[in-house]
Amino acid sequence: MTIRVAGLGAITLAATLGFVPTAGAQTQPAAAKNAAAPKDAATTAKAPRTPWGDPDLQGTWDYRTITPLERAREFGTREFYTEEEKKALETRAGRRMDGPPEEIRPGLTHAQYWTDPGRFVADGYRTSLIVDPLDGRIPALTAEGKARQARAPNRNNAVNASWLDRGNQERCITYGLPSASLPTLYNNNIQIVQAPGIAVIVHEMIHEARVVPLDGSPRLNDNVQAWIGSSRGHWEGDTLVVETTNFNGKNNYRGSTTGLHLTERYTRVADNRLEMRLTVSDPTTWEKPWTVLLPMRPTEGELIEYACHEANLSMFNLLEVARDAEKAAAAKGQAPARPDPADDKQER
Amino acid sequence: MDRARVVLATVIVAASVSSLRAHHSFAAEFDANQPVTLKGTVVKMDWVNPHSWIHLDVKNPDGTVTRWMIEGGTPNTLVRRGFTKSSLQPGTEITIEGYRAKNGANRANGADLILPDGKRLFMGSSGTGAPSDGPPEK
Repeated sequence: MTIRVAGLGAITLAATLGFVPTAGAQTQPAAAKNAAAPKDAATTAKAPRTPWGDPDLQGTWDYRTITPLERAREFGTREFYTEEEKKALETRAGRRMDGPPEEIRPGLTHAQYWTDPGRFVADGYRTSLIVDPLDGRIPALTAEGKARQARAPNRNNAVNASWLDRGNQERCITYGLPSASLPTLYNNNIQIVQAPGIAVIVHEMIHEARVVPLDGSPRLNDNVQAWIGSSRGHWEGDTLVVETTNFNGKNNYRGSTTGLHLTERYTRVADNRLEMRLTVSDPTTWEKPWTVLLPMRPTEGELIEYACHEANLSMFNLLEVARDAEKAAAAKGQAPARPDPADDKQER
Repeated sequence: MDRARVVLATVIVAASVSSLRAHHSFAAEFDANQPVTLKGTVVKMDWVNPHSWIHLDVKNPDGTVTRWMIEGGTPNTLVRRGFTKSSLQPGTEITIEGYRAKNGANRANGADLILPDGKRLFMGSSGTGAPSDGPPEK
């Protein structure tokens, strides 16, 4: 099989999306064009305007995709799927959504009616959402990052003495950032609402709303820290740039700390596409920053409230299970069995 | 199988193994070694976050009835996939295949839901009318 950049299919897709390629771009596959530089897209599509003249990014945007965040190592530096691979992957994802799973593995194979991860490879046929570094993978941890990770308690080995032994997502506190902006099993939607000098980004995953000043407000003092940090935005041409800092470090996204710094760049690259380019950095955690390119499309419905704490019976139930296991083990003079963390991965 | 097919198959597997952590832990709550098949009558369905729960009356061999609680998908997902509050009415006979709570409580993770006509929920049909069934160009 010849390994090649997905040319024809991507060009067809781009044409469907209503891109207007600049002169000279026609010799380059659309997929490669997307990858070249963020300004390419921003300069080729003129975003509609709000009544007060800002680029209008408003709407509810769906970012489901089967394209993985990190590229499978087998692909090396190959950035694009072939047409054949794309079709095969989407067929497989469709089978998962519409038919019985090929193999039932408890805990690994949620019923498809539980989940909504999408069934399509993202625009441009990319083999990973990460576009920088070129291997499509999150950079190595720094020495400090590794040491921190080694010290971190393994939550899945916890005895579940209380809800404090469980993660923030399970406790319905927050999905955290950037997790709430990246594809997961369901609720893969954001809504953007704008007013003069302000933008609000609402994340469906545990219904976070970030109110982002666009008026040049200074960053908060470093002593002010929040679960989802503090965001400040500005326009660069038609692109909304949002810088988020002041994290409290309690979310521990992939081992990161209060040094986490997110830069989101939202560009309306077509009537029906919003592109988010997200750069994640934390010099105390990763050897270099990394960047994700995530296309979003308009949804047919509104954002739906996900009031996670409404009836979080799972928390009650797992604590009950832990207490019962302790009693049963004590009766036999043994230590209680621990959950197997391998049971909690979800294959997509 | 020719070489091209082998390579394609390898690529598909490689690209599909990215794992996502479910929002809530399966292992802390349910037992993979206790699969259960429950045939019963729907009493009610709680459309609550973060996960829905189906209350099911299951008749035991001795004639007694046990009420089970079956954990299901989040309401957002169900609605988007075309499953609404009218889809599963009280009194409907369904079969659940799932995994029982580790402590033996009458709760299960609903891995599969089989409707009275034998259809598994959504399976075999991509035309549910749910937004997720639209093509990516939409």
